[in-house]
Amino acid sequence: MANTYRALAVLLSYPTSDTAALMPAAAAALEGEGLVPAPLVRKLMPLFYELSAADLYDAQSRYVDLFDRTRSLSLQLYEHVHGESRDRGQAMVELLKLYSSRGLELTAKELPDYLPVFLEFLSQQPADEAAVLLGEAAHVLEALRERLKKRQSVYAHAFDALLALADAERNGEALKALMQEPDDDPNDLEALDKAWAEEQVTFGPDKVGCPKAEAMIAQMKDSAA
Amino acid sequence: MSHTLDRLAFFTRKTELYSGGHGVTNDEDRSWEEAYRRRWQHDKIVRSTHGVNCTGSCSWKIYVKGGIVTWETQQTDYPRTRPDLPNHEPRGCARGASYSWYLYSGNRVKYPLVRGRLIKLWREARKTLPPVQAWKSIVEDPAKRKSYTSIRGGGGLVRSTWDEVTELIGAANAYTVKRHGPDRVFGFSPIPAMSMISYAAGARYLQLLGGACGSFYDWYCDLPPASPQTWGEQTDVPESADWYNSGFILVWGSNVPQTRTPDAHFYTEVRYKGAKSVVICPDYSEASKFADLWISVKQGTDAALAMAMGHVVLTEFHRDREVPYFKDYVRRYTDMPLLVRLVKQGERYVPERLVRAADFADGLGQANNPDWKTVGLDEATGKPVVPTGSIGFRWGEQGKWNLEEKDAGGGDVKLRVGLKGTHDEVVEVNFPYFANTAANGFASTEHPNTLMRRVPAKRFALKDGEALVASVYDLFMANYGVDQGFGGEHMPSNFDDVEPYTPAWAEKVTTVPREQIIAVARGFASNAEKTNGKSMVIIGAAMNHWYHMDMNYRGVINLLAMCGCIGQSGGGWSHYVGQEKLRPQTGWAPLAFALDWIRPPRQQNSTSFFYAHSDQWRYETLDVKEILSPTAPEGDWGKAFIDYNAKAERMGWLPSAPALKTNPLEVAKAAAREGVDPKDYAVRELAAKRLEMSCMDPDHPDNWPRNMFVWRSNLLGSSGKGHEYFLKHLLGTSNGVLGKDLGVTGRRKPVEVNWRDEAPEGKLDLLVTIDFRMSTTAVYSDIVLPTATWYEKNDLNTSDMHPFIHPLTAAVDPVWECKSDWEIFKAIAKAFSEVCPEVLGVEKDVVLTPIQHDSAAEMAQPYDVQDWWKGECELIPGKTGPQITVVERDYPNLYRRFTSLGPLMTKVGNGGKGLGWNTEHEVEHLKQLNGEVLDGPTKGLAKIETEIDACETILMLAPETNGEVAVKSWESLTKQTGREHAHLALPKEDEKIRFRDIVAQPRKIISSPIWSGIESEKVCYNAGYTNVHELIPWRTLTGRQQLYQDHLWMRAFGEALCVYKPPVDLKTTAATHNFRSNGEKEIALNFITPHQKWGIHSTYSDNLLMLTLNRGGPVVWLSEKDAARAGIKDNDWIEAFNANGALTARAVVSQRIREGTIFMYHAQEKIVNTPGSEMTGQRGGIHNSVTRTVLKPTHMIGGYAQLAYGFNYYGTVGANRDEFVVVRKMKKVDWLEQPLYRAEVGQ
Repeated sequence: MANTYRALAVLLSYPTSDTAALMPAAAAALEGEGLVPAPLVRKLMPLFYELSAADLYDAQSRYVDLFDRTRSLSLQLYEHVHGESRDRGQAMVELLKLYSSRGLELTAKELPDYLPVFLEFLSQQPADEAAVLLGEAAHVLEALRERLKKRQSVYAHAFDALLALADAERNGEALKALMQEPDDDPNDLEALDKAWAEEQVTFGPDKVGCPKAEAMIAQMKDSAA
Repeated sequence: MSHTLDRLAFFTRKTELYSGGHGVTNDEDRSWEEAYRRRWQHDKIVRSTHGVNCTGSCSWKIYVKGGIVTWETQQTDYPRTRPDLPNHEPRGCARGASYSWYLYSGNRVKYPLVRGRLIKLWREARKTLPPVQAWKSIVEDPAKRKSYTSIRGGGGLVRSTWDEVTELIGAANAYTVKRHGPDRVFGFSPIPAMSMISYAAGARYLQLLGGACGSFYDWYCDLPPASPQTWGEQTDVPESADWYNSGFILVWGSNVPQTRTPDAHFYTEVRYKGAKSVVICPDYSEASKFADLWISVKQGTDAALAMAMGHVVLTEFHRDREVPYFKDYVRRYTDMPLLVRLVKQGERYVPERLVRAADFADGLGQANNPDWKTVGLDEATGKPVVPTGSIGFRWGEQGKWNLEEKDAGGGDVKLRVGLKGTHDEVVEVNFPYFANTAANGFASTEHPNTLMRRVPAKRFALKDGEALVASVYDLFMANYGVDQGFGGEHMPSNFDDVEPYTPAWAEKVTTVPREQIIAVARGFASNAEKTNGKSMVIIGAAMNHWYHMDMNYRGVINLLAMCGCIGQSGGGWSHYVGQEKLRPQTGWAPLAFALDWIRPPRQQNSTSFFYAHSDQWRYETLDVKEILSPTAPEGDWGKAFIDYNAKAERMGWLPSAPALKTNPLEVAKAAAREGVDPKDYAVRELAAKRLEMSCMDPDHPDNWPRNMFVWRSNLLGSSGKGHEYFLKHLLGTSNGVLGKDLGVTGRRKPVEVNWRDEAPEGKLDLLVTIDFRMSTTAVYSDIVLPTATWYEKNDLNTSDMHPFIHPLTAAVDPVWECKSDWEIFKAIAKAFSEVCPEVLGVEKDVVLTPIQHDSAAEMAQPYDVQDWWKGECELIPGKTGPQITVVERDYPNLYRRFTSLGPLMTKVGNGGKGLGWNTEHEVEHLKQLNGEVLDGPTKGLAKIETEIDACETILMLAPETNGEVAVKSWESLTKQTGREHAHLALPKEDEKIRFRDIVAQPRKIISSPIWSGIESEKVCYNAGYTNVHELIPWRTLTGRQQLYQDHLWMRAFGEALCVYKPPVDLKTTAATHNFRSNGEKEIALNFITPHQKWGIHSTYSDNLLMLTLNRGGPVVWLSEKDAARAGIKDNDWIEAFNANGALTARAVVSQRIREGTIFMYHAQEKIVNTPGSEMTGQRGGIHNSVTRTVLKPTHMIGGYAQLAYGFNYYGTVGANRDEFVVVRKMKKVDWLEQPLYRAEVGQ
């Protein structure tokens, strides 16, 4: 069980005076446990410092703008995995099952796929297992990191730390697919244009169609001839 | 040999193909099916629906597993229909099916949000000050106030808690009530029918507070004023199932498959049954493919087309050959047989008002309301008679308000239709003609502005001397250019004469070939002749959103009336725009408007409100003279529209919010100090002009609205016509207004309303939006409260499209910090009650309300229009001015009142639409059902704690859901009509629909006199049915379908009879044309905003699934020719702009669009993929950025029978289709606007 996860959960939660009070302890846990390489921890220190300040208004409005209002930066993990598909509800059900199988009931008014919730859950699991579980979300974390980096947000370093923790074979395909998703950054014109491009739709059997149906039609054509 | 060994004894070889090669077997891995299997492993299924502004009202199954909504499917348990009528199912469309994601969407508002700067000020102030003082210290300090109002829309929101935020709102409201007056708190929420309790929650709070609720139906321009003008009814239409009973359907400016998706199957099915269908719309719409004939009419000229069809029908089915059914229908059910005075104007005559019993020396024997009883000629005796049913019979006497063919004395009467053959002389009558000039490329003809037609007339000795009278029928025929043998100038002799209003003339104006017009008119009328009226017109927004929508609509209504289609199953007028049908209306109104505690409520027509308070009047481009009739009676007509509106407010025609420049609580106090009745005091002070009405000076800080609530609405993103003016003046934030106000342009300023050179910016102290997603309105608000979605609350839902009532049910608890609207307003009410004693106690409030339709006061000024403010008459509240009532508000107990059913239901009873009934029994039942309040000042009253309590209140009180009440209400009507009606509800007297019943299955409502159709096993719901079949009069001056509008203002603006008026010239493109050129070619196009396929208003248009099906952001559609002209290719970024503002979008270049128009589907969001405008330097606007509201004086008329105010019933409407925009390709696409925090952090 590693407090490092809990520390990162606090760091990625909405900044309040409560979380501000926890920042020194969180920073200490990160440094003390040594799960995250020291250079990465050092880079995180300004964020810890900033979020422990008394006047949090700027930090709060930044958080709301980044994580509550920018869809491509949502901290709901399944926003990036399932998006609007119907699988999302089922996936959340599975996640809740996982939590309760480890004796944890989600009582806060949050969905199970909210990253700080997930991190807090991991903090209660054996470290190696936590690393594997976190690894399953590595491609999402990486995508978020890249997007935050593009915005030069200090929050990107938190994702550096998470990725360092995650025990994952890099799922290159998934990441690639995710990075092709349009980012909400209104300054990134090209990404937007890509999202707009309309692909030609082809109907009937071809390379992307069903080969068996194609064979069948070919046979029908033959027998007709 | 080997052959035999090849044959297996134990196995059969699997073959790849079977069924002659048509089937395929395969052994692929089928684990993917697990996903589907899991989908069906739900914990429960809950019934709900989508409370979006959609008439679908479709019941859905919501699947819940582990407390999480996993998906939804259509409910298929609607009660069956009768034999030979298709069932309603399946209802529900792709939009509804994509809803479940909204629950967990990244766009959802999760926590109460407040603008950071505001909450910082608040917390700072609260350290030392009590709440109301704290609010005062912020808003009375101009620098502090501006620090958050000027950055509205700029981000910088932070989370807050419910306790903190409700205290802030409560304090702001209390301060505003105390400092400025309760009517400075304004609330906007549309379409109660889609989630009645949610609407009622906010409205109930506002009404207990004394705030004003804004209307929506007129503001959205979904209200067709022609309906109240003709029938005295807001809107009543056939259910969609009734399409199936039709033989000929004209779909006119409506796009049934796109905007009425779950109902469209009836349209398909009736075509299989053999019905003919003609679709009329400029573009090749989705409906066009259903058509036997698609008519591409020039946009905005529909009235001309309707007039020409009417011309054909009147010529061939009334004049050349009299169809008995048609003749009998117009005699009994329209005002055509009634008499109109003709008065001299110059050398000729013009039609004036309808003759009244009081015009005769003996009053034709009428002592009760002779001024309000209209007159016809008896065919048998040739004598003038007073047929029963006119409004004079409705009030002040009993038993004679009906459409029996009787006169007031009970004698049989058969009214004469037309005076031909009995006339004393033929006179030259002038009819106004408006199509001799037109702007912006609309066609005009070479005709004078008045057309003389000869009309048969009779001379009568009236009490003021001899008078010439004509019948409405003859005037009607002459106006249509149908010659009854008397001739006239420009009187056509056949359909090919290019004279108003022949098919040949219409061909010039509308571009529709005359043969098509003639064929459609003949087909329509001959079907109606053969079926007794089963011809129907489905009509939509494309007809109603024009400035002269009344002409479009009345042209169609005339066609239906002359063919006897209104009130006949399978026939009639099917206006499906907006979701107006709140079926249990009279059960809902007491809850929503707190009528159980305080009457009357403060209700405001939003169009006039926003026109005044977002200062759109300061930019008026249309001069009244441009729309005034050449036949206008003499008078002072040359004022500005805002002057007309102020006059209407003064005279009690339209409501006012705020009403008085002085805080109405202070008015009551001043009266108390003098020891006078506050009403008398107010009348005296108003007459002496010491007390001023707010409408006379809308820009004075004392007259600003101060607090505004928006809930269930995207006011700024979707329905705010004149969006940029809202931003500039009401909100005071960055905006894209390009034009200059009248002070700069030198156009004519108002003459009565005060002009201030300095325009206010930022009238609102506080803007609160309650929504479940971050809409454009939320982005601009000071406070955003997260509300429950449609799967997280209990509520009621009805529609005009089907007769069922069904619920929204909470499938799961609201996620995050969300609460239902009911719980939110309860929390605000509680916080308000706790903080208000700092400044408020039990207070007296002086409430000004307009003269109400369906009350005896609607008979206010029968002849002239007299204005007390100008000294033309005395100020008599409720007659020549607004009604004035003094009410008591118990502010500290507001919360207790909110959560219990007040005593007025027992003391005064309930009712609606002019009917009243005792409701004690229902109140008792409700106490037993909901329980009683146990202690405190509301002890012993029925509780309304929960949403379900609130639902039960509605269901218990409404005749539509409580058979016992239905019977009572019909009996109440019997007193007025003298006819027995209770048979319509008696079989259902014992039926009482409860919330749990409709959760189990949608229930069909019970017939009630609140509506003009019936629920029966024999006919479908059809509007006007009870008027025709039960002989209940329409709620108009004549009691009949009013085709002749005789009010002075109607005559002044040339709308006594239906005419064609070309679209108005708003002159908004010239100023911006080539003003900030980017080198690209600029063209002007007519800006059209239809309803979209991939969203419902602005809802769903931020849904990624829908965005993917569309093009993923704002788009406009234009024709290939226009695109070529401007050098625009498909998918180019374009900018559309005019004096009102600018918008940016992608171009869709399509053959289906008619040249000269540009389409932008309604309400695509600014929050989604919108780049900066080269014109304004701001982020490109929404579709309403290039629009501005323009008022029409005829919509302001009040105190005149059907032309009397009712909330969402009559009043000014927000038309927007006459607008033109300059369109050009964008050079540089620039994504602007840094989030605020970045700018701040950067500093």
